[in-house]
Amino acid sequence: MIFLNLTLGQFLPLLGAMAAITVALYMLDRTRRRQVVATLRFWTEAGKPAPITRRAKIQQPISLILQLLGMLLLLLAVAEWQWAGRTGARRDHVLVLDTSAWMGAAAPARPGETPRPNETLMDVARRDSLAWVRAVPADDRILVVRADGLATPATGWETDRRNVARAILLSQPGATLLNISQSLDFARRLQKSSGGAAGEIAYAGPGRISAREANSLVLPEMPAFRALAVDDAVDNCGLRVVGARRSTVDPGVWDVLVRVRNYSTSKLPVTVTLNFGNIPQGTRPLELPAGEEREATFAVRTKAAGLVEARIYPKDAFAADNYASLELPEVRSMPVLVYSDQPGLIRPALASDPRVDAEFRPTSQYNAAAAMSSENANDTQPRKPSLVILHRFGPDKAPEGSALWIDPPSGKAPVPVKERVGKPEGLFWTPDQPLTAGLRARDVQLEQVSVLAPAAKDVVLAGVNEGPVMVARGEAGHRTVVMGFDPFQGAMRFELATPLMLANVLRWVAPDVFRDVDVATQAAGAVESPLPPGKQEVQVLTDTGANLPFVARDKSVSFFTGDPARVRVVAGNIERVYSLTLPEMWDTKWKIPVNARRGLPAINDELRRSPSLWPWLALLGAAVLLLEWFLYGRRGAHHGPAGIHAVRGGMEKAA
Amino acid sequence: MANSGTPLLDRAFLERLERLTIHWQKSFGGLVGGHNRSRYPGGGQEFLEHRQFHQGDDLRAVNWRAYMRLDKMFLKMFQVEPRVPVRMLVDTSASMAAVSEEKFEYARKLAAALCYVGLVRLDTIQVLPFADKLKEGKTGSGGRHRYREVSEFLEAQKAEGTTNFLGVVRQFLDEYPQRGLVIVISDFLDDGSCTKALQYLADYGNELMLLQVWADEDRLPPWKGEVDLIDAESGSQVRMQVDADARDRYTAAFDAFSAGLKEVALRNDGKYAGIPVSLSLDDAIFDTMVRTRGVA
Repeated sequence: MIFLNLTLGQFLPLLGAMAAITVALYMLDRTRRRQVVATLRFWTEAGKPAPITRRAKIQQPISLILQLLGMLLLLLAVAEWQWAGRTGARRDHVLVLDTSAWMGAAAPARPGETPRPNETLMDVARRDSLAWVRAVPADDRILVVRADGLATPATGWETDRRNVARAILLSQPGATLLNISQSLDFARRLQKSSGGAAGEIAYAGPGRISAREANSLVLPEMPAFRALAVDDAVDNCGLRVVGARRSTVDPGVWDVLVRVRNYSTSKLPVTVTLNFGNIPQGTRPLELPAGEEREATFAVRTKAAGLVEARIYPKDAFAADNYASLELPEVRSMPVLVYSDQPGLIRPALASDPRVDAEFRPTSQYNAAAAMSSENANDTQPRKPSLVILHRFGPDKAPEGSALWIDPPSGKAPVPVKERVGKPEGLFWTPDQPLTAGLRARDVQLEQVSVLAPAAKDVVLAGVNEGPVMVARGEAGHRTVVMGFDPFQGAMRFELATPLMLANVLRWVAPDVFRDVDVATQAAGAVESPLPPGKQEVQVLTDTGANLPFVARDKSVSFFTGDPARVRVVAGNIERVYSLTLPEMWDTKWKIPVNARRGLPAINDELRRSPSLWPWLALLGAAVLLLEWFLYGRRGAHHGPAGIHAVRGGMEKAA
Repeated sequence: MANSGTPLLDRAFLERLERLTIHWQKSFGGLVGGHNRSRYPGGGQEFLEHRQFHQGDDLRAVNWRAYMRLDKMFLKMFQVEPRVPVRMLVDTSASMAAVSEEKFEYARKLAAALCYVGLVRLDTIQVLPFADKLKEGKTGSGGRHRYREVSEFLEAQKAEGTTNFLGVVRQFLDEYPQRGLVIVISDFLDDGSCTKALQYLADYGNELMLLQVWADEDRLPPWKGEVDLIDAESGSQVRMQVDADARDRYTAAFDAFSAGLKEVALRNDGKYAGIPVSLSLDDAIFDTMVRTRGVA
């Protein structure tokens, strides 16, 4: 026998005090009373002298016993008296409320019920959840877990049903997909660590999960699982991915790919439209078989930044995946000023990349602070070159910005020339440098090279047996590369290493311009982004520039975001911009275990049986007190309607 | 409660009272009610006749136009309307507030309502509170706009003192020898014989209207067991063993007393109404008093 609320030491004094107060009040109540009356003249005829009695005499002992018994029963109820140990104590239940993105879909009309406009699956789940909460015995505890891609507790262990109801009513559909195994495992762990007897784990929702989870679904052992299934048989087609990347054939064009899926059980026609900056770019009608995906591609020609918006029609039950937008970045170019008396040698190498805006000038026009003419005829503002290439030319004053010195004359180079060597041997390239990426040619025969004498901070990029022939120097504000040879002359002119070397220099000087940008809009949740080959620094950044936790393995980087967000993955020369604004959608429906309890608990359901005695004790105590009042209530007889009738009767009689 | 600043009777109830008239049965020689005229000259409102001026007459009543034309002084005579005096004796003894103020409050409201009925019909009503003797009264006359003074007078009364009907009646007859209607609002719970005093009042030619007001516990005492009963007025105490039989006997004695009061009223062509405070004031006036023809 135990008391959950009070110890025996607390219970007995409390009972004693209450009994003492009751007896004292009883004695006071049953003793003679003084009453002021208007006159005594009628009493002398009606009454009779009272016998001399002791003040403390108990006149109605049964009444006192009933009162004490009622008090005892009520006190036992307050103390939550139990017959045995805590095994029969209150249970702890967990409500797993589905808050996945799909819960925002419109609910189908229930057969036989009036359709409720604007009712969502979330509303149905909330209603079922509240009905389930009402069926749980009052002294059992409930914890609410919001389940989407990441299970989150919404309450602590609560006996206050208002807090539970508030948590349920405040639950909203998220942006991710339900992870049922993680949610149920989390609920079971909470239940195990609660310290109370395990009650039910109830899941409220339609149970839509990913195919990957369905294939490897492992549910925890649950003593009692209930499924409050929500019917979601509605038609829906939705955008899965909207992606854009620069065209491989025309760098001024973005190839936009739109992937649409039919989640329904019947074939549905949809129309995909694409706008860029509110200007229609195309429309694609698609016939979508049940449960399948189709793609539509669009070409958007622009160098300016802007918003690409994809929409599908007609409208369906789930509006959140009918629209997606992604932001295209501006296509920037790199201004390069070349001083050469033989521009024809270099022009093909620079003209091959449209992102390079090259201007050629003879060496006689050299100016250290020269500016380039504007790319746009309407723009009169001169542009400062990002890179100045000095081809076999050594000015007295070095350029102000970044510069590539190609075979400078001895005495005019920024790096001192040690000696001039003809047909050198032992050409090598320094590995693990961005400027020498992909350069492995060793059998290239150089005609004439200047062996350089680099400073301590200079980075040697290439060399021959006599010493360094290519050096890089990174100084504040600008970068300098010095080649002790001319790759545009002799046999090297036809080698692949030459344009590669020039591309590396351009990329090193202006990495932002040459970074490959992929833009994609897809669902929030767990995102896996492929990494380019090679070893490079990886950054996953949010819109605000904050670093997002990620895991890089198997040539990909994985990160998670539970809310719609815009995330940039920067790895080497590649930048991928993920606009995670689409809701994460399901692939299949979870099959509820066969041994699960289903639906709302019936009137005789196991869930409704409270193991506690206190409600019965409270009821019994109240009944005993009511009985006492009924039998011995002194003042009730002449009050109320009967008294009024008696008075009216007397009035009539008197009149 | 009236003392808390709210009026005894609300405006809507007063408006309903305006269609009532206080009725009496007796014919008082030379006196009329509110709607009958007499031919007695005096300082009334309506012109009656001219007479010769005599020394000592009020110069303000001289017809100066006639004097200018005839060179004789004539006096303008107006008719007076001597009305049946309506006097209302309101019990303010301690027994009226023995258990609660409810009975006293009810009696004051009843008195205020009858005053208003009289004032509307241009009757002159004297409100005379009493306990062991008559207290200073208030005369209301001249129409409904004088009701406020009477109402405030009643609100200011307090229940205190013992009841002495015989002494009060003697004092009343001394001070008000003119016959008229006497309305008595009381619980009539006097240790002496109030019926004798009331009979004395009737024998002097007054018409009685007895309004007996009682609280519920005055007629149906709710107590049982051993009770020390204390008289609210005298303070005398008696210990009683109250049971159902005793309560029945008490009620029978009370009813017999009420019947005695009624008999006194009816025997002298008067009226009697027993009014418990559980009865609404509306029912008391528009039902009980109308049926007893106290008002119509």
